[in-house]
Amino acid sequence: MTRTQQLLQTDVLIIGGGATGLGAARDLAMRGIATILVEKGDLTHGTTGRYHGLLHSGGRYVIKDPQSATECAHENRILRKIMPQYIEATGGFFVTTPWDDPDFGDKFMQACHATDVPVQEISVDEALRREPALNPKISRVFEVEDGAADSFMSAYGIARSAREHGAQILNYHFVKGLIREGERVVAAEVEDLRTGEIKRIGATWILNAAGAWAGKIAALAGLRVDVVPGKGTMIAMNHRMVNTVINRCKMPDDGDIIVPIHTVAVIGTTDIAVPDPDVYGIEPDEVTFLMEEGEKLIPGFTRYRALRAWAGVRPLYKQEGVTDDRDLSRAYVLIDHAKRDGIDGLLSIVGGKWTTYRLMAEEIVNVVAARLGNTTPCRTAEEVIPGGEAQQLYWLGHNLAHVEQHQAFGELICECELVTREQVLDAIAQSGAANLDDIRRETRLGMGPCQGGFCTYRAAALWSEWRTARDHDVHVPYNGHGNGQHQPDASEPNDPGTELLRHFLQARWKGLTAIMWGDQLRQARLDQLIYLDTLGIDLLPDAAGEDPELVTHHPAIATEYHV
Amino acid sequence: MTSRMIVIGAGLSGLMSALALAEAGLRPLLLAKGYGTTYWTGGTIDLLASRRYPNMPLHTALTHLIVAQPEHPYARMELDGIAAAVDRFRTLTKAAGYPYVGGLERNVVLPTALGALRPTALLPATMAAGDVRLGGEILIAGFHELRDFFPPMAAANLQAQHIPARGVYLTLPDGYQRHDYSPRSFALWFEQPNFRQAIGQQLRTLRGTATRIGLPAVLGLRDPLGVVNDLQQISGAQIFEIPTLPPSVPGMRLMNIFHQAITVAGGRIQIGSEVRRGLGAEGVLTHIFSEAAAREQRHHVAACVLATGGIAGGGISTDFRGTVHETALNLPLHAPESRQAWFASRFLHTEGHPIFSAGVPTDDQFRPLDSTGHVVYANVMVAGSALLAGDPVEDRAVSGLALTTGWHVGTLLATSLPAQLAT
Ligand SMILES: Cc1cc2nc3c(=O)[nH]c(=O)nc-3n(C[C@H](O)[C@H](O)[C@H](O)COP(=O)(O)OP(=O)(O)OC[C@H]3O[C@@H](n4cnc5c(N)ncnc54)[C@H](O)[C@@H]3O)c2cc1C
Ligand SMILES: Cc1cc2nc3c(=O)[nH]c(=O)nc-3n(C[C@H](O)[C@H](O)[C@H](O)COP(=O)(O)OP(=O)(O)OC[C@H]3O[C@@H](n4cnc5c(N)ncnc54)[C@H](O)[C@@H]3O)c2cc1C
Repeated sequence: MTRTQQLLQTDVLIIGGGATGLGAARDLAMRGIATILVEKGDLTHGTTGRYHGLLHSGGRYVIKDPQSATECAHENRILRKIMPQYIEATGGFFVTTPWDDPDFGDKFMQACHATDVPVQEISVDEALRREPALNPKISRVFEVEDGAADSFMSAYGIARSAREHGAQILNYHFVKGLIREGERVVAAEVEDLRTGEIKRIGATWILNAAGAWAGKIAALAGLRVDVVPGKGTMIAMNHRMVNTVINRCKMPDDGDIIVPIHTVAVIGTTDIAVPDPDVYGIEPDEVTFLMEEGEKLIPGFTRYRALRAWAGVRPLYKQEGVTDDRDLSRAYVLIDHAKRDGIDGLLSIVGGKWTTYRLMAEEIVNVVAARLGNTTPCRTAEEVIPGGEAQQLYWLGHNLAHVEQHQAFGELICECELVTREQVLDAIAQSGAANLDDIRRETRLGMGPCQGGFCTYRAAALWSEWRTARDHDVHVPYNGHGNGQHQPDASEPNDPGTELLRHFLQARWKGLTAIMWGDQLRQARLDQLIYLDTLGIDLLPDAAGEDPELVTHHPAIATEYHV
Repeated sequence: MTSRMIVIGAGLSGLMSALALAEAGLRPLLLAKGYGTTYWTGGTIDLLASRRYPNMPLHTALTHLIVAQPEHPYARMELDGIAAAVDRFRTLTKAAGYPYVGGLERNVVLPTALGALRPTALLPATMAAGDVRLGGEILIAGFHELRDFFPPMAAANLQAQHIPARGVYLTLPDGYQRHDYSPRSFALWFEQPNFRQAIGQQLRTLRGTATRIGLPAVLGLRDPLGVVNDLQQISGAQIFEIPTLPPSVPGMRLMNIFHQAITVAGGRIQIGSEVRRGLGAEGVLTHIFSEAAAREQRHHVAACVLATGGIAGGGISTDFRGTVHETALNLPLHAPESRQAWFASRFLHTEGHPIFSAGVPTDDQFRPLDSTGHVVYANVMVAGSALLAGDPVEDRAVSGLALTTGWHVGTLLATSLPAQLAT
């Protein structure tokens, strides 16, 4: 499908709508630099949307990577100020279990002091009083300033703010090619996955913030960035057995941390090198391993209900001279291709952590601003992201309080996560959610124990009513009233909401099979019976592939929908 | 302590068994952890609509299955057994004023809440006007307040299948606004003449050229047929119910009917009792142990029907190591070997997911077998989704299988047991 080329020109083009790219977009826009960001999926489609949820205190890196530790500790304090609405101050423990070296604690304390990571040893009794579900056989406990952070919500918040400062943020825009003129990269060829339209975006500077895909982007300009994609798997359990982040007090390793976030507790991770950031699955062995490790920190862990499993890919940058992957630094690198390869116009930034996204953005934007002759200082460490002005950190009761204040029980579309009709319609109308996954990322719809059995059907219907109203210019029924009447004619394919539903069910299924046993399997059977028997979704003619707005069909981002 | 006839499970299969035993004068005790899937289902009885037997009348498809799959529960009952169960169910529901229509001859095709066209064998008369063969334009009407029914989406899908349809929302009459709404609250409102009058009038106005109107299946608990008749008079169109998401009002109606019939015939139903284990000697089950309110109760068993459902009903449980377990009596199961083999990669895979085919293997008298093919307990019979029968969802036979095997096993036990048990 070839369409007319559209030409756009900007100072800076950012590739990648994860935390790093979005952070850079906001920073650039705040300095008054014309910026366009393109992301092939929805925002947070990459690793940012598949991370563990930890706002690092720095504790995990004090020995392995001291510089990272210090950066994390520093950024931790800044993020609490500039985006309190996305952060829960859970606090964190490093605990010595019977499986851990009892002497490691002393080394850990010393290293914390050396790296400026605030730490305090507390008594086991005190720790057990605060977290009674912890393994009573732990021998030492160190308290740090870990937190839980919502990377979806914060990404949307950062993007909104960047837009307010003038940045253009284009999701579902896939970079297919980089265009070089001599020794300079001057433009990107971008496909709008929703319309098939090809755009040529010219830019004075292009920032490659494509995370684990950074190597693929560099290759488009004929350059090498060696990124080793390392897959990490996490499992969310349907209960916050602890309200504090729990780490094992030992060298960071697989399955050694549990993060309470929103209504769940997440155990992670594993670390397995994969050949391609787009092709990986979750192995039953990994799941069994994580469950058994969880049992060591919290006896009875395996009896709770596992809600879902997902994996993200670490973009580990392969520095020259390093041969063993384990020694690869977890800090980030900024590659100036002019210096390294003699090719101007392109900068790559790889690695790092969600916690340090702002710092990474600041550093790369400093370089770009200097080249553009812009002297406006960085303000992202002070300027609060809209919504956080009250300086109130997120707390778990927030959503329920909202529903209670508005007496919105009858308006709940997702009962598990307390998402109202208004929030779903907002995600569709205001943020332009293109499918149920987008709605989920923005509202947490379908993330609870019922696996979206009820609410995805409802959300699909609301989406389709909204779209019908838009396409036929009918009044959109908003708060449950009005009469969005439109008479479809027989030439139309299946209701578009139904197609979304079918896709979402498949994507969800893939995400769930790894953790389906016990009550979760029972729930899956209930959902299957609802969709097959009560609704007969399998009996509808299959119109998949006919709707251009179903961008998930596009091979560039469809991996997760194919098995 | 005298021994008793015990039925474990209050789903459709357990209820049919208990009814058969009670009517034979055997005063069964029905123990169940919960109400089973009945409260979740749409209320139609699906006997068979399998991809493996396409394009033939139901009666013929059943005959084919009986020949092709001699170990299938249907084959073990034969057509006569299936017909007997269906007859009893029809007389039962008719006597209760909630008649079912349809039968073994052919499937009726009804629109679902998604606008799909779904075949079923037996359906409440309140759904009969949904039959797609009736033709004409359909109006689908619902309420914004009832969160699980979206008329425009259903109508759009019907339309795409060349069935003229329109979807509209109705407005709740004044005085009915609440902070929260459930299918049950709507069902109770529909029992009020004023509410029916107001809704009927709206339907009349919105009807246009439609000759039939589909509404969510919430048209009253006690006398739904009366509600339907009344709405037909006011609106001037034929009215039919469309099942929606759980909790299901048609399921509640069925549960009430069974509860009444079993109790009147001398049976007793005890909900909230989970059976944890059984005790047997020489191939005979002698005791079972149930737990209610954290107290263990011991029951002396004469004979027992295991009607605990499958994975949905809680009769089969699983864990992360891949263990598959029959929860009440720890009977041997047929199940896939490891977790890797539990699922197909596509949710809507036409062959279903292997784990959902797990079940108790039985002999032709529905008695449980061990891995060597020997009867485990001679006085236990298995019915419903607990049975090994492939994945009945894929055959669209779940409720039909529960209904027919439940009745069959109940009558089988009643006739095969010594008369002195009937005390
Ligand atoms: C398993 C795991 C757990 C983690 N847990 C934590 C944690 O608890 N705390 C923490 O602070 N950090 C954590 N991290 C690290 C953190 O998640 C990442 O460092 C961070 O999210 C990286 O953000 P990014 O923007 O650089 O990359 P990404 O979020 O991956 O963004 C890159 C984007 O580029 C897009 N893209 C790729 N190719 C193209 C193209 N051709 N055209 C357009 N767009 C394209 C991708 O779709 C993607 O959205 C974790 C990482 C992993 C792997
Ligand atoms: C949402 C939904 C929609 C459906 N729609 C249809 C449909 O349209 N058509 C169709 O044919 N079928 C449908 N079904 C399936 C079907 O209705 C039932 O699953 C079927 O009737 C099975 O009935 P059953 O009696 O075997 O078991 P269940 O109804 O599963 O009952 C099991 C009973 O056993 C009890 N129990 C389990 N273990 C124990 C124990 N250890 N001790 C004591 N009690 C125990 C349970 O509490 C319950 O009372 C649907 C199911 C669901 C969930």
